[in-house]
Amino acid sequence: MMNNLCKLIPRTLVNVARQSQNTIKRCYAAPIKRFYKQTSVLYNDGKYEVTLDQRKLKTPKGTLFTVKSEPLAIAVATEFNNQKEHIERTKMHLSALCFTAIDNPNNHTKIDMVNYLLNYIPTDTILFQYDDEKDLHDLQRNEWDPLIEWFNERYGTQLKKTMDITPPTVSSEDKMKISKYLLSHSEDVLYGFVFAVDTLKSIILAFAAIDQRIAVDKAVTLARLEEEYQLKFWGRVEWAHDLSQQELQARLAASVLFAHLNRSEYFKKEKTLI
Amino acid sequence: MAAVKTLRGLLAELRAASPNGCIKNNLASRYILAQYKKFQTTDQQLCKARDEALSLAQTYQTYLSSIRKYNELYKEFHGRGERTVRETADMVGFKLPHDPKD
Repeated sequence: MMNNLCKLIPRTLVNVARQSQNTIKRCYAAPIKRFYKQTSVLYNDGKYEVTLDQRKLKTPKGTLFTVKSEPLAIAVATEFNNQKEHIERTKMHLSALCFTAIDNPNNHTKIDMVNYLLNYIPTDTILFQYDDEKDLHDLQRNEWDPLIEWFNERYGTQLKKTMDITPPTVSSEDKMKISKYLLSHSEDVLYGFVFAVDTLKSIILAFAAIDQRIAVDKAVTLARLEEEYQLKFWGRVEWAHDLSQQELQARLAASVLFAHLNRSEYFKKEKTLI
Repeated sequence: MAAVKTLRGLLAELRAASPNGCIKNNLASRYILAQYKKFQTTDQQLCKARDEALSLAQTYQTYLSSIRKYNELYKEFHGRGERTVRETADMVGFKLPHDPKD
């Protein structure tokens, strides 16, 4: 009876069923092999391109990779050059940011991104403080409060921290001021801002890092302040805490570099020799 | 002084990251050295924040070193799939049936 039944089911199906019983395998795409020897940067039509041997680098969508800033192109070329046997795209944050900005896979407009950032303010990490535990609160007051003050002074806002679960109220005036500042940037730079905010879970820290008010590693430490505090009692696990810290630092550094290199231009005037 | 320290750190990171460990003709190292020469007297420029060039260099150094450390941790701890029977036996100090007894 069983044999007859088996005959009715196509053979391949049986094989698949048998395989799936033995091993549960997740199907990842095979990593791309490093297919080039050298990387370089080309200047073409006012923009910089990256070449892998004789080929030009393209984005995942297939458009030509072009950036306005020379150091950014060099950084991307270096990142591709630093790949060993395989191209590990998940660890190339700077290239990934450039690709996202060029391809714009979610079709975000500037307004979308600014709205996203504005909606983040009431959930800003450093506006939520906790005074049940004195040591932790002292730490938060000493480390976070100066930055909130700096932000309010720099952008003319009146953000206030909250001590319980109710989110802080953000006046429409404050939102207008911040959105005005953000809208003065180009789309590329806004991608840097969004990436930084997503990394730090805080608008204020992200602005401080991009304004170079605090260094990247400091910003990441401040974003993980409570985690660092609890680590003192419960111990540090290398494959969780250190790994996440290094990843956040790499991501934030990439977004700070990206925002900077896209918004700064060096004008060069050369004297002509007569 | 901080600038020189950053430069050394940056070059060391670039060397560690490059696949053959040589950055003589490296694009990034040449660009960074050229920038250092350009800002040798001062990096205070019109319409720029104080020490902007230096903090950019430090940011890039953080970027490279964080990626390196992340890779080291990842290599140490990431899952390599299921262990073989031999590996498991070695781990707990057992022998396989066909291993010589002694």
